[in-house]
Parts: sequence; structure tokens; C-alpha cells
Amino acid sequence: MASFWKKVSRERRPEETVEAVRRRIEGLRDLVDKNNEVLELISKAGEMLGGEYVFDRNSLASLAQQLESATRMVVFNLNAITGDRYPELVDALKRADASVRATLESRLFVPEADIVIFLENVGDELSDTVGEKMARLGSLKKIEGCPVPEGFVITAYAGQLFLEQAGIPGMIERWRSGSAAEREAGLAGLSGELRARLRTAALPKELSRAIGKAVGDLRRRDRSAAFAIRSSAIGEDGELSFAGQYETLLGVAAGDVLGAYREVVASLFSDGVMRYRQSAGLDPAQGLMAVGCLAMVSARASGVVYTLDPANPSRRVLQISAARGLGRAVVEGGLPVDRFEVSREPPHEVLSRSVVEKKEMYALGRSGGVDRTAVPAAERSLPAASDEELERLAATALRIERFMKAAQDIEWAINPEGRLFVVQARPLRIMAAAASGRRDLGEAASRYPVLMKSRGVVACRGVGAGPVRVVEGTDELDTVMPGVVLVARTSSPRLAASVAQAAAVITDIGTSTGHLAAIAREFRVPAIVDAGNATQLLRDAGEVTVDAEENVVYAGCVRELLEDQLLRRETFSETPEFRLLRRMLRKIAPLNLKNPRGSNFFPQYCLTYHDIIRFAHEKAMEELVEGHRLMPRPGDRSVRRLDLTVPLELIVIDLGGGVGPADESGRLNSAQVTSRPLQAVIEGLGTEGVWATGPADMDLDGFMSSMTRSQALTDQTATRPDLNVAIVAADYLNLSLRLGYHFNIVESFLSESRNDNYIYFRFTGGVTEMTRRARRASLLRQILAANDFVVGGSGDLVIGRVKKIPFDAMVERLRMIGRLIGYTRQLDILLRDDSTVERFVKGFLEGRYDVVSSRDEEGTERRRLTR
Amino acid sequence: MRGKRRVLILDDEPIVCERLKPALEKSGFEVETYTDSQKVIDRLVEEKFDVLVTDLKMQGPDGIDVLRFAREHAPATKVIIITGFATVETAREAMRSGAADFIPKPFKITQLRDLIVSLTGSRTE
Repeated sequence: MASFWKKVSRERRPEETVEAVRRRIEGLRDLVDKNNEVLELISKAGEMLGGEYVFDRNSLASLAQQLESATRMVVFNLNAITGDRYPELVDALKRADASVRATLESRLFVPEADIVIFLENVGDELSDTVGEKMARLGSLKKIEGCPVPEGFVITAYAGQLFLEQAGIPGMIERWRSGSAAEREAGLAGLSGELRARLRTAALPKELSRAIGKAVGDLRRRDRSAAFAIRSSAIGEDGELSFAGQYETLLGVAAGDVLGAYREVVASLFSDGVMRYRQSAGLDPAQGLMAVGCLAMVSARASGVVYTLDPANPSRRVLQISAARGLGRAVVEGGLPVDRFEVSREPPHEVLSRSVVEKKEMYALGRSGGVDRTAVPAAERSLPAASDEELERLAATALRIERFMKAAQDIEWAINPEGRLFVVQARPLRIMAAAASGRRDLGEAASRYPVLMKSRGVVACRGVGAGPVRVVEGTDELDTVMPGVVLVARTSSPRLAASVAQAAAVITDIGTSTGHLAAIAREFRVPAIVDAGNATQLLRDAGEVTVDAEENVVYAGCVRELLEDQLLRRETFSETPEFRLLRRMLRKIAPLNLKNPRGSNFFPQYCLTYHDIIRFAHEKAMEELVEGHRLMPRPGDRSVRRLDLTVPLELIVIDLGGGVGPADESGRLNSAQVTSRPLQAVIEGLGTEGVWATGPADMDLDGFMSSMTRSQALTDQTATRPDLNVAIVAADYLNLSLRLGYHFNIVESFLSESRNDNYIYFRFTGGVTEMTRRARRASLLRQILAANDFVVGGSGDLVIGRVKKIPFDAMVERLRMIGRLIGYTRQLDILLRDDSTVERFVKGFLEGRYDVVSSRDEEGTERRRLTR
Repeated sequence: MRGKRRVLILDDEPIVCERLKPALEKSGFEVETYTDSQKVIDRLVEEKFDVLVTDLKMQGPDGIDVLRFAREHAPATKVIIITGFATVETAREAMRSGAADFIPKPFKITQLRDLIVSLTGSRTE
């Protein structure tokens, strides 16, 4: 595919070429700006989810609008630059807009999904597809030591297919077309008709096939004979406010799963549910259902545990009710049950017990379903759960509470072998009067010594306590225990696995919009980043409490703060606005197009705004790199040759504000450069000693002859070195270098606003054979990593990225890159073995560049030059 | 030691009240929240508050009405406007009508808290 630049070079006269290039580059710059704006908005939306922001529905609508218009500009610019090469991207944008808008308007929007999804693949992010209840159960499965029965979810997408095939939308439409009075009068009738239809209509073939196969898989895994078929409705408030109104069937035999599925889906339209929706101001006939199919725990005992006393949370006890057999006795209250109160402190002593006589219990019937059966006389007065089981139950419940960051209401079951299962967990409703009796937290907290205050940025709100664990290198991560306060130097993505299990996270470096912060939010782990020297401050702190709301770290365990968090009636993340934001983010933020060479790197695979801008940015950069072969022309002031004190020939193309006014000569010296990123690179280039030949005033001929000499050393085909080009603006630099025989791109944006800042470093090629080139790549990777770059690439390709760091840190790194350009120019020739790499890395990082110029025999002590 | 500073919050979006109340209480303020502007007008007459935080667009008396009422009947109460429809014009009108400050939504809780602290001269701890 001929790039734009090649096309214009062929078709136009040279003066026009430069002007056209300028225009295209301006389009590119706007694309990069808007691209950054979209990234910024996505980050901000993510931050809002972290809980530090106060916002309402209107804020979300305006956020969506800003995202839409910035993304549209990115797409527009890409097509302007490339001569409308990507019309499909416009379609992708329309699709993304539609799904975000539907989310905002709280229309039920069913993402296309598999018919069934196994529970281990389900998490919070799938609640649109599997319903709140199953999404939460899937999240529980992620918690270490929280056993959840095996199972799968029949998705809302499948539910939609079923409703459509059964003709439900048409029936509802007919009812809707009536007058208000007719609708009211016809509601009960509609309810009956819809349910009757769903009980008899044929299931779509793909559904019955997929469900049948999943049931088979589940039976092979679990060998269970019966299943629990549970409702998991989709919608505004999900299962929370509709609790108990939808059908759940227990003890369903494999052959009856499809029938039970119909029953549960039909409960969407029960008279009670439709009336409830109406009273809540919702469309009574609008509903969608995902259905969970779980291996039935043939329970010996089961019940409910509250992690606090909802009437009196300050008592610090767990309340457990327990019945023999299945849990229906507890949930529905039909039979007398045992009640226990257990301490929240390990070893969870039983503080009070009320053991009743249990004459009957619920058990799985022989032919499916649930029967009420007699308890053997000798066992009637025994407690339904032993003290050991209660202790285990308490520990598990508190683990869930820690993960969910709110007091919990948990349904549990113990099988005949004594294994404990969690079958459901939801936030515990604390009675309003109890929650409002709050203590003065400020006063309580002031009794604890403050170790750190207002350092860094809160990345995920919340309170967590535990022993401090300082992590220096990523190799230590295997030994990090769950429940610690993880304190690390950088917010490396490699910490992710440990973060998920930590009580809280603090890092010295990092931003609240980074990857680690996103993970902390996903797992609701309180996090403070960019705290400067937390690793030192907290090194020997022992147990601490991290208040990532007020941004304070206290010595010891501040129980009052931890409890306060549990008592909030609804943690903020359960409010409708947060759910809406979470749903919106799912349509906006995930990046599906990760690899530019991947098979899905095409417009039609762009699902989110993030995908769209990623695609556009990549294609725009390709355009730029392909089109960098430009020559300065006499009289043109926007393309000039830069005079440097080092042997580097550089053509500078100014997009605006990147260089000062030209003098008569038409040449440019480094003092006239006003592009801040280029200034920093030039400063680094000029560092004494980094050019192997010394910082000599060398003209192009000298440079060329040195090039020729070094070529002769290794006998490579001698080609004229291409020109090096810097495209600059006041805050922007795109540097393409062909020095020696490697190709190096540095792109950077440098401003006071750290979220815009980034450096992209790409390096490939070299004179020597692959091993030595790979050694140089390894050297580069080590040096970049030591400077906080995220490093990738394989073989002789090195890609390094650093972003969102403050101005001064950017300048420092750009200078480092300047030094690196000089230092590595011909380094591959010298890299005889791996130990040399190590020595050169060390030399560079310590500011000793002479290791390059002194070419004595290996093993001899090297001459040390002072800088 | 003086008694606690009292803050009155008015926003017809319950989430704003729900978020601000615990956060400000944690900082040692006494907080009352309302989603109905008429009730706030009543409360301003009944008792003294150090700060009123109010949204602009609401059913019934809107934020500017409440602000004007507060300036007239409770002049010692400092008024902070929070709104999602932040334009220069609305900000200007709010300030002209005597608001002590203006914060566009979405905002960080700490931003509002710091503002209240500086307006009331109370210590953060």
C-alpha cells in the first residue's frame, strides 16, 4: 500500500510536498492530542470508579459526550491523513456510540455472548451478561479459600434469543399499544400469557444444545446428580431490590434442567414482579434474565451468616443460623433453626448458642426436587454445625467481607464430607438506625500514631489493615502472603497478582491512572500511589492501617475505621450511579486490539473507544514513519538542518513553536531549539564522553569517514546513511534516527500536565551478527528498565515506554536517551559476551561512558575518565 | 474548644448527599443532607449553619433561590455551589449572588472538604 508521503513525493513539486507534509503532520498532531484526550477521559472515568469523586448521572452523560466527540476527531484525522483509507473505522465508531448511549439511557442492552459461560470465567465485568448475582458468585470464586460450587451461567444473550423465538416482544408490544387504562387492566392477563408461552414454547436449538453439553461437562467435573437453577436478572438494580422475587429451583435432575430454565425465565413476568417494577417507576414488561446452573451441594447442614449484627453492628459478632439439610429452612423460615454468635476475632470463639430441637429438615428428593423429611430422633437436639465448622465458616465469611469491603449476608452449605461451600453473598442491609449511630471517627483515629499523611495520590478508596510487606524486586512476589499491606517502589504491573490479595497497596512511584491502580480498583484494594518514600517510611512499621480515603497511614490496627467501612448502608460502589459508570466503562475502556500484527487488528474488531483510538494511533504512526524521508530545501524555514557539537546530522521539521526564528544562514543551532523534549535530548547528546569518538566538533565529512571506517571493520554492504529527522513542536518530538546501521525512533510529549507526558523508544537493527545485536538490545532493555521504562520487544527489537511522569522526571529521562543514542551508536561491535553487557550497563548507569572508548583487552582494568 | 462546625448539604441527586455526608463527618463536621430545597430553606431559618453546599438545578426553589434566601436570612452561612452544568456564566451568576465559591461536578471529595475547612477556619483534625 503506497503511503501518502510516497504518493505526494511522486505527484507534486517539492515545495508543495513540504507544505502538504506539514498539513498532514498537523492532522497527525491533532490526532495525537485527541488520542491523549480520550485516554485521559478513560482514565478519569476509571478514577471516578475509585471513589474519590462525587458525581451524578449528568456528569456521566457529559463524560460520554466528551469521549464521543474526541474519538470522532481521532477517526476524522486518521482518514484525513491517509486519504480516507479507513471508512470501516467510522462504522466502528457508530457502533461504540450506540452501545454507550444505550447504557446511559439504561436501556437493556444485551452484549452478544456465548450461550453458556462457566463460573470460573465470570467476574464483575460480565454482570451485563450473567446478571449481578452470578457475577458476584464468579468474583467469589476468585477469592482464595472461598469454595463456590461448580457451575455455569446461561447468559442474558441466550435469554434474549429465547424470548424472541417465543414471540414475547410482540406480545408485550400489543399490550403496550393499549391505552393506560387498558394496560392497567391487562397487566395480570399479560403476566399469565407470557409465562404460559415461556413454559411451552420451543427453546432455540442452539440453546438446548449448548445447555445440554454444559450439563454433561458439569456432571463429569462434579459427579453431582442434581443442580440448583438460580435466577440472575439483568438490569438497573439487578438482584438487589428484586431479592427473592425471581424463581430459584433446587434439586433439579439433569433431565429437568431445560424445564427449570424456562420456569426461572418465566418468573421475569410474574404478576408480583411486574407490579413491583411498575411501582418502582420501571417498565413492568421490561426484563431480562441470566440463569445460573450450579452443582447442588447435597447439604448435611446449611444456613446464613451475617458478618455483623445488623441491628447492633458495634457488638462485633458474626451471626450464624444453621439448619440440618438444605438451606430452605433458614432462608424461608419454615422450620426452627439453630442460632449462634461467633467472635469476629480469630479463633472465632462461639459466644452464644441457641440449639433447638429439629424434628424435620429439607433434603434432596429421590426423584428430584426438595422434600421435607424427618430428622432421626437421636440427632434432633444436636447442633446443626460443630464449633469447628462455625470457626471455619466465620473465617471464610470475613475473607469475603474483606474482599467486598462491606458487611456481608452469605448463604452457606456443608456437604456430608464436611466441605464448606458458599452459594451466595450480598451486602448486608444494616438497619438505618444502627448505621446512623456513628462514632466520632476523627477522634478515634487520632489516638493512633500517624506514619504517613497526604503523601501521594489515592488510587482506590477504602481502608485496609495488615502487616507491612516491602517488596523490592519482582522475584520476591511469590512469597507475598495474602492480607499484607504491600509497599513497593514502583507500580509495576507485575505486582498485579499480589495486589489482588493484599489488604492495601502503597507505591513510591506511579499514577492513579496506571495499570496497577486499575487492578487495585478491580479488586477493591485500597491503594495510595506516588507516595515518594513509603518503602523507607514504612519499612519497619509492622502492622498498619491504610486509610485510602483521607490518605493517612496509621500505626497499628484502627478498628474504628475498618468497622466504619463495613457499616455504610451501601458502599458507594453499589449505588446506581456507580453501577452505571461501571457498565459505561465496559463499553469504553477495554482494549481488545492489543497487537498491531495480530489477526484482529482491523476496524471491524474495534469494540470500544479505546480500541478505535489504538487502531487509529498505530496507523497514523505507520504513516509517519514511512513518510519521514524528507530533504531540507533552500529557503524553506520549516525544514532546517541542525548544527550540533556531536557527529549527528539532524533535519528538524517544525510544526509550530519547536524552533526559534531563523538567522540569515538558514541553519539552526541548538540554542535556537525551543522544543522542550528536543532540548532535553540535545543536552543528553552533548554529555561529555558519551560519543565514542569524544565530543569533537566534527563535520559531516568527518562523521562520514568515521562511519566508513567502522563499516570496514565488519564488512557490511555500504549504504548511505539516511537522514535523521526530528519533527518537533514546543512540547512534542518525533525523532527518527538511522545511526550506523540501527533504526531508532523516539517519540515524546512533554508538558506540565504529567498525564499527557510520554516517551516511546523503539530501536532495531545493527551492523554485526544477530548475537551481538541481541546483546545490545539486552543492554538497552536493562538501561531503560532501570529508568522506569516498561520494556518489550524480542531479538534485536527494543520497545520502551514511560508515561505520566512529572516534567522534571521526563527531562531527566530524555537526557538519558540523548546519552544513550551516543553511547550505543556502535556498541554492538564491542559486545563480545554477556558479561560485557553487564559492565556497559553498569558503566552507563554510573555515568562512566569511557568503557566504550577504551578498547583494551577483556579482563584488564579499565581506564576511568571523570565526567 | 468550639463546638463542631455545621454543614448543610442540598442536592436532588441522593448519591451526592450519600457520598458527602460520611466523608465530611469523618473530618469532624456535623452534617445534614437534603434532596428537597424547601426543607433547606426551613432549616436555615430554624438553626445556624456554618456552610451550605447546594446544587444549582432542582425542582422547586433552585440553587440560586436558596443561595439568595441564605444571604438574606442567614448571612453568616457561607454558601458553596456545586453543579454539573458548569459554565462561566452560571459561575458568575452564583458569585454575583453571594456564593463563597463554586465547584463543578464531578469533583473530588477532598476538594470540597478543603474548601469548607478554609471557609470555616476549622482545623482539619
